[in-house]
Amino acid sequence: MSETRHDSSAACYRFELELQAYMEGENKPFVLAHIRECAFCRVVVEDLEALRAAVRELPLEEPSAAVWSNIRAQLATAGAFAEKAGFWSWFSQLDFLRRPIPVAAFACMVALGCLLTAPRNYPEQDSTSALTATARRTAVRSMGFMGDNEALERVVRELEATFRAREGSLAPDVKTTYENSLLSLDTSIRECSDSLQREPGNSLAHEYLLAAYSQKAEVLSSALEFDEGR
Amino acid sequence: MSQQKAPAPKAASETQLVARAQRGDEQAFAALFEIHKRRVYSLCLRMTGNTAEAEDLTQEAFLQLFRKISTFRGESAFSTWLHRLAVNVVLMHLRKKGLQQVSLDEVDSCQDEPVKRDYGDNDRRLMGSVDRISLSRAIADLPPGYRTVFVLHDVEGYEHNEIAEIMNCSVGNSKSQLHKARMKLRDWLRQNEGLMTSGEPVISDQAPTER
Repeated sequence: MSETRHDSSAACYRFELELQAYMEGENKPFVLAHIRECAFCRVVVEDLEALRAAVRELPLEEPSAAVWSNIRAQLATAGAFAEKAGFWSWFSQLDFLRRPIPVAAFACMVALGCLLTAPRNYPEQDSTSALTATARRTAVRSMGFMGDNEALERVVRELEATFRAREGSLAPDVKTTYENSLLSLDTSIRECSDSLQREPGNSLAHEYLLAAYSQKAEVLSSALEFDEGR
Repeated sequence: MSQQKAPAPKAASETQLVARAQRGDEQAFAALFEIHKRRVYSLCLRMTGNTAEAEDLTQEAFLQLFRKISTFRGESAFSTWLHRLAVNVVLMHLRKKGLQQVSLDEVDSCQDEPVKRDYGDNDRRLMGSVDRISLSRAIADLPPGYRTVFVLHDVEGYEHNEIAEIMNCSVGNSKSQLHKARMKLRDWLRQNEGLMTSGEPVISDQAPTER
């Protein structure tokens, strides 16, 4: 190539005027024709195209770890982060608990699980008092879930006998608290029993009776546990 | 802005991250930073040409983002919102430094500057693949006004009308600054040894297509 700027100045000047529009994608026939003949101007276009291609390939740069540390510190200071969720927070996120049918199904599954895993050899005679408080509670719950009314009633009687034998050792205020609870539960048991005498097929009364016995057994177990723990 | 569309699963997970961040979830903040940090930092670095400034501006951009994230309603893509916010942070910084005014004056004074040519080696051209480090250095050496338009258009993919709106100038001015920036970059790269080589011309018959 031996071209000089002087040789092609007029055409090259027009090229320069139209180059920007050509690079913006406009149709410029003169530019296309000119760069076929002028090596200077052809190199300009080639360079700009190479540059544009290279820019597209530029890699992204990585900031230093200090950037996030600073951001995090400032956000924490500003109180932007919510409190760490507590252990029971997951429970409130279980939306299905707000619907009665899934809740009932869930409760049945839990009950069935307890039934299958609970000990089946219930104490027969005076063995109740020999059981630990935990074992007593487990046995009572199992009977409640099974609907074994007679067995539950028997266990409650035995627990009550043990409680009466030891109640003298309880502090007066503790004893009063337990007495009040037992009195309330006895009232419920009596009402449910009366209802069942009138209507033996009243399933709701039967269910309430079982619940009352279970609760009375829990209260008595608690009282004995309290006494054992002293 | 002519941004690439994100794949649907990523978009979905990002939406979830944004929702969690709006509730103050620290892990979601960290994840959003992790996803976007390189793009934001690269934008800041190329617009300022300085790593320390770029890190400060990246920090400022994300802090503004997280402070305002509760106001994000999803009317635009989250990445678009974030990058526009980052651009504004950088421009505000440049204006505070008074660099924008300098660059605008510079554009006017350079209006009639002719295209530089290498008369001795007129058939040599830039390599098909320009050295990335040299290119980054060349961009950093551009006057701030040129650099801003060049980065926004050629690197970030903004259109001239968007740049005109962002920089409060005319579309013609944006086009003019971009052209000048490209020519200055070419001059810078040609002045550096090792970037030039002889080779076959790569001119096509088609006008270059804009992104």
